[in-house]
Amino acid sequence: MRRALLAITGLAAGTTALVVLKGSPGASQVATGERSPVVPAGSDPAALPGVAPTPDPSDPALSARATPGGRQSPTGRAGADAPRPAAPAPTTSAPRSTLRTVSGPQVTYEYGTLSVQITLSGTRIVNATGIGMPQSGQSGRRSDDVQATYSGTSGEVVRKQSADLDTVSDATATSEAYQRSLRAAIDRAR
Amino acid sequence: MTYQDTWAAGRRTGTTPRHGGRPAAPVSPTPAPPRRGPGGRRALALLFWAGLVAAVLPWWLDTPAGSMKDTGDLLTAAGRITGLVAGYLLLVQVLMMSRLGALERWVGGERISRLHRDVGATLLVAVLAHLSLLLVAYAEADEQSVLGEVGVLLRDYEDLLSAFVAAGIMVLVGLTGIRAIRTVMPYELWYHLHLASYAALLLGFGHQFSNGAQLHSPGPVRTGWIAAYLLVLAALLWGRVVAPLHFNLRHRLRVADVVAESPDTISIYLTGRRLNQIDMLGGQYFRWRFLARGCWWQSHPFSLSAAANGRWLRLTVKVVGRHTADLRDLDPGTRVWAEGPSGTFTAAHRTKERALLIAGGSGIAPLRAMLEELPPGAALIYRARTPADVLMHPELDWLAQARHTSVWYVIGSRDDPGPRQVMSPDGLRRLVPDVARRDVYLCGPAGLVEESVRALRAAGIPRRQIHLATFEL
Ligand SMILES: Cc1cc2nc3c(=O)[nH]c(=O)nc-3n(C[C@H](O)[C@H](O)[C@H](O)COP(=O)(O)OP(=O)(O)OC[C@H]3O[C@@H](n4cnc5c(N)ncnc54)[C@H](O)[C@@H]3O)c2cc1C
Repeated sequence: MRRALLAITGLAAGTTALVVLKGSPGASQVATGERSPVVPAGSDPAALPGVAPTPDPSDPALSARATPGGRQSPTGRAGADAPRPAAPAPTTSAPRSTLRTVSGPQVTYEYGTLSVQITLSGTRIVNATGIGMPQSGQSGRRSDDVQATYSGTSGEVVRKQSADLDTVSDATATSEAYQRSLRAAIDRAR
Repeated sequence: MTYQDTWAAGRRTGTTPRHGGRPAAPVSPTPAPPRRGPGGRRALALLFWAGLVAAVLPWWLDTPAGSMKDTGDLLTAAGRITGLVAGYLLLVQVLMMSRLGALERWVGGERISRLHRDVGATLLVAVLAHLSLLLVAYAEADEQSVLGEVGVLLRDYEDLLSAFVAAGIMVLVGLTGIRAIRTVMPYELWYHLHLASYAALLLGFGHQFSNGAQLHSPGPVRTGWIAAYLLVLAALLWGRVVAPLHFNLRHRLRVADVVAESPDTISIYLTGRRLNQIDMLGGQYFRWRFLARGCWWQSHPFSLSAAANGRWLRLTVKVVGRHTADLRDLDPGTRVWAEGPSGTFTAAHRTKERALLIAGGSGIAPLRAMLEELPPGAALIYRARTPADVLMHPELDWLAQARHTSVWYVIGSRDDPGPRQVMSPDGLRRLVPDVARRDVYLCGPAGLVEESVRALRAAGIPRRQIHLATFEL
C-alpha cells in the first residue's frame, strides 16, 4: 500500500517534471538560442518539404494561438539536445510557434486542381483546408460540400486525425482528390 | 521455559548449546543448497526501470523543447506520457502473472503478488490520468464540452470504443483488488473477474497504434512496442501452458495417500515419475489441481512439507474451507496437475549461516521442509494454540537431533503471558542470543507474522534478513 502511494506520487511527479522540462519557456530559449546563430530566422532548413512558415491566417482562433512572426518549430529530434546547458545567447526572435502548416501536393481531378493544407500542433492535426478548389457552378457546390464536411477546426479531418474519410455523397471525385492530397500532407508531417 | 503448565512447553532440542557453539555430533548428510543471492531479482528490477525509460523516451525525443505554449499542449503532453507509462505497466502486470519459472524463482510468488497489487494501483491511476488529461485537452482544441468530446472520440476515432471498454474493465478489476472488497468476495469469483484483464490487454491494444502519436507511424518505436507485446504473450504461453504441460507429462503425479495429522489437518503424499529430477527446495510451493470430482476446476497453492527425497512429495493442508475439506476424501491414484515450483522462501535465499524459524499453526509445513536443508544449528519457535494443534511432533524431534536444531514449542493463545513474553524483543533475544546475526523465516497467520516482524525489528534484525510467507497471493 505504501509502495503503491509512492509509485503514484512518483508517476505524478515524473510526468510533471517531464512536461515542465520540455515545455518551459526556459527550455525553448535554450533551444532557440542554440540555433539562432546558425540558422537565420524564418529559413529553418526543416527536413519537411512543403512546410509553410505562417499559420493559416483565415482562422482567427489559430492565428491567435500562433505567435505572430514566430518560426515554425523544428520537427523531429531537435528536442533531444534541449536539456544541454547552453550559454544563454541573447535572442531577439520571438518564442517559436507550436503550430506548423503542411501542404499536400496539387491534385488534378475532373473539375480542377486542389491541394490540402493542414495545421498541426505537435503531431495532432488541428485544422485543415482545401486550396484552389473551383468556386463556381456545380463544381463549386461540390467544393463547398467537401470543404464543409472535411475542413475546419472541427471537420472530419480534425476529428479522425487521418486521411481515411467518408466520401461526401455526390462529390466523389472531389472527395478523393482531397483525400489524396491530405494523405500526402499527413505523410509529410509525420 | 516460561510455561511449565503444558506438556509441550519448554525446549526440545538436539545437542546444540543454546548459545550457538558448534555441535560435536557428525553433521547430517544433506548439505545446505548453495545460496541464490538477490542477483536475479536485482537484474529484473533494473530491467523494469530500463523498460520504463524506454517507454517514455520516444515521447521525449519526438517533442521539440519549448513546443508547449498553452495549457492544452501541456495537458496533451501529460496525457501522452501517462498513456505510455500505462501501456508499459499493463505489460508488466501481465508479465508478472505469467508464472514464468525465472520470475517465480527469483522474485517469488508472494512478492510478485504484492508487487502486482502496487503496480496495479499505479496502472489504474495512470490509465485514468491518461484518459482524462487527453479528454480535457482535446475538448479544448475542438471547442467541445468534455462530454461532447467523449462522443466525438467514440464516434470518430478508430479503436477508441474498445479502449474505453478496456479502461472500464481495468477500473472494475482495480476495485475488486481493494482489500475490503476482495475479502468479501469468494476467491473463485474474484479470480475469474480478474481474468477479464486479458480482455483489457487486447481491447487496449489497437488505439495505441491508430491514435498514439509515438506509435502511429512505422519505425523502430512501433516495432519495439509490438515486439514487447509479443514477448509478453510468449511468456504467458510459456509459463501458463508449455512449462506446466512439460512438467506434468514428465512427472505424472498421483495421490499416494492421505493421512490425518491432527483433527483439522491432513498430509497428502504424492508419487510420480522421475521425482529426483524436480528442481525444488523446501519452503517452495506448487499450485495443485487434484483431478477428482468437485476439485479439478480449482487450483490451490500449498507448500511442500518435506524436502525433496526422490520418492514422494508431501503437502500438509489445514482444512479451512470447501476445497480443503474436499481434499480429505481424495482417493489414492487420483491424478494431480501441478504448477511450480515457486517461491523464494527457501534455505537457498539465506544471507547468514544460521536461521531462526518462527511457525504459527499450519505455517509449520514449509518450515519443516526447509529445516532439512538449512545448515545445522537453526532454531525453531513453533506457536500453537493447544498441544493438540502441534503438527508433526515426532518429525520435528527427529530433525532436532539430526540437524542440531533447537526447537521451542510456545503453546497458548496470543494474549497468554507465556507467548507474549517469548514474542517480545527481549524474549526473542533471551531465547536466541545471536538472533540479530540470523536469517529469520516467518510463516503463519498474518497476525502472528506482523507481530513477530515488529518484535524482530525492535530486536535489531535488518529487514533483508527477515523472510516472510503469509499464505496469501
Ligand atoms: C504460497 C502459499 C502457500 C500455501 N501453503 C499452504 C500449506 O502448506 N498448507 C496449508 O494448509 N495452506 C497453505 N496455503 C493456504 C491455502 O492455499 C488456502 O488455505 C486454501 O487455498 C484455502 O482453500 P479453501 O477453498 O479450502 O478455503 P476458502 O474458504 O475458499 O479460502 C480461505 C482463504 O484462502 C485463500 N484462497 C482460497 N483459494 C485460493 C486459491 N486458489 N489460491 C490462493 N489462495 C486461495 C483465500 O484468500 C481465502 O481467504 C498456502 C497459500 C499460499 C498462497
